[in-house]
Amino acid sequence: MSETAGSAGQGGMGAATGVRAFAAGVVGPLRRFPFALYPTLMLGIFFMVPFVIMLAISFATRTESTYQAGFELTHYARFFSPLFTTHLWVSVQFSVLASALSLLVAVPFTFFVSRLRRRPQVVALVFVLCVLTLSEVIIAYSLSIVMSRSGGLPNVAEWLGIVERARSWYPSYPANLFGLTFFNLPFAVLVLYPACTRLDRELTEAAQTMGASPGRAFFTVVLPLLERPIMAAFVLLFVFTMGAFVTPTWLARPEDTMMAQLITNQALGRGNIPFAAALSVFFMVVTLLLSLLTVWLRRGDRTGG
Amino acid sequence: MAAWGKRVFLAMVFAMMAAPLAIVAGVSLNAKKRMFFPPDGVSLRWYPEIFTTSKWVEALTNSVVIALLAGIVAVSIALPTAYFLWRHRVFYAKALFAAGLVPFALPPVITALGMLLFWGEVGYVGKLWNIAIGHGVFLVTLPLVMISLGLEAIDDELLEAARTMGADSRQLFATVILPMALPYMVAGYAFALVLSMNEYIISFFLGQHATITLPVQVLASLRSGYTPTIAAVAVLFILLAVVVFGLIARFGDLPKLLGAWTTKD
Repeated sequence: MSETAGSAGQGGMGAATGVRAFAAGVVGPLRRFPFALYPTLMLGIFFMVPFVIMLAISFATRTESTYQAGFELTHYARFFSPLFTTHLWVSVQFSVLASALSLLVAVPFTFFVSRLRRRPQVVALVFVLCVLTLSEVIIAYSLSIVMSRSGGLPNVAEWLGIVERARSWYPSYPANLFGLTFFNLPFAVLVLYPACTRLDRELTEAAQTMGASPGRAFFTVVLPLLERPIMAAFVLLFVFTMGAFVTPTWLARPEDTMMAQLITNQALGRGNIPFAAALSVFFMVVTLLLSLLTVWLRRGDRTGG
Repeated sequence: MAAWGKRVFLAMVFAMMAAPLAIVAGVSLNAKKRMFFPPDGVSLRWYPEIFTTSKWVEALTNSVVIALLAGIVAVSIALPTAYFLWRHRVFYAKALFAAGLVPFALPPVITALGMLLFWGEVGYVGKLWNIAIGHGVFLVTLPLVMISLGLEAIDDELLEAARTMGADSRQLFATVILPMALPYMVAGYAFALVLSMNEYIISFFLGQHATITLPVQVLASLRSGYTPTIAAVAVLFILLAVVVFGLIARFGDLPKLLGAWTTKD
């Protein structure tokens, strides 16, 4: 067959080289393993093609309720408008703070869990998984009960005499920050878990036999070793939080609207599909760059993963 | 920090993570149609409503069917991809594997919008299959990573033994590789299933108010006015997760599935 690497001819032009590289890289392996065609088509049609369409639409012309083919950069130009910059800044703030706060709890927590005996460790993992997979809708809802006037902490605060009259604590900036931190916590635990299990147990034990308390051993031995995994986890959590939709919808004030909400409002609320597409393209590029950063951070992981 | 300090810290974090779940469970028991905690009178009457009110039944059915299908889509993509990379370490296999990791790394709202625009161009919108395929592709990362872990764990000597006994690659796959990868496929399926049941934004974008899933219905109901049925649905979700992950932990090696280096004590 002419497509295979060996018999692709000796065409010297760039296009021919490209075709030959494609033949060698794709057609050859597919002939050796034809079943790979199915995942290629599924991911290609239902995942890659949608992004290509989105990219095309981000340059399209907006019409009354939808869009028509065209090439204009007006939607990207709106990135310099306050509508975009204020919400981007708010999202970055929330994402940095929520990621850092959740790591503050998750790092020692995950380390201690990874040091538990097998049985309690498995129970702890099941618990974390249950909280992790729980719908964002349900977590935001239960946190809103905790912070509502009739259901929880404000009542307790009134009873304790901290506040004179119970008021609902949400929607507010701290409520949303707490919600996002809470939502990040189980994710942070699972991201850190493999690195924590790889830490050499003998290191901390040695530190303790030499007289260090568990806390001291944690700060002087464990934390420095976990530096890279923690940085990688921070980036992952940052991306994860930037994509939050339900939590800020439910717990944040309208002026603290985050990126995912902005995209949803533009696409479904205002019917400005090209602008929503442009926002998504920007969001996707940033996310992919950050993901590459985590790959690089993990390469230098000193726990040896 | 002494050893007890560690225990207190662990207990506090567990309590903090469990508190909202406990409160939801409490609220779901309210006798009156109010959101009190602790509950004002105890009653289980909100639970049957999930199975008798048409909007909840419809949402529940949609969610279950979508989750079952999405799991199949995800595993069916993940198995050949993982096997391809394990058998032939060529660039194409690596690229395909990497493509399977991307959906989980992107903010879901982007995926949701891209898929909505795609189905809009195709002219097939708001259907159950939109969401099922969407979830399947979005969640493919989990079975992919897990099946790869399972394949890596297969002993080379076992494969060698089967080959010397005359097994061709098809027999090898059917008699050695598939049975050894099966527990990881089941675990990957279960993870995808639970996450699909709980997923909001892709369901919301692709459902287009025509196909409504349980989380979408919960948020819609919360907006239109509160009933304890919402809390009862939340408890149902919690139970689902407890049962599924409990079973995986009971019959599988959960620490290993989550990437633990060693599972020995």
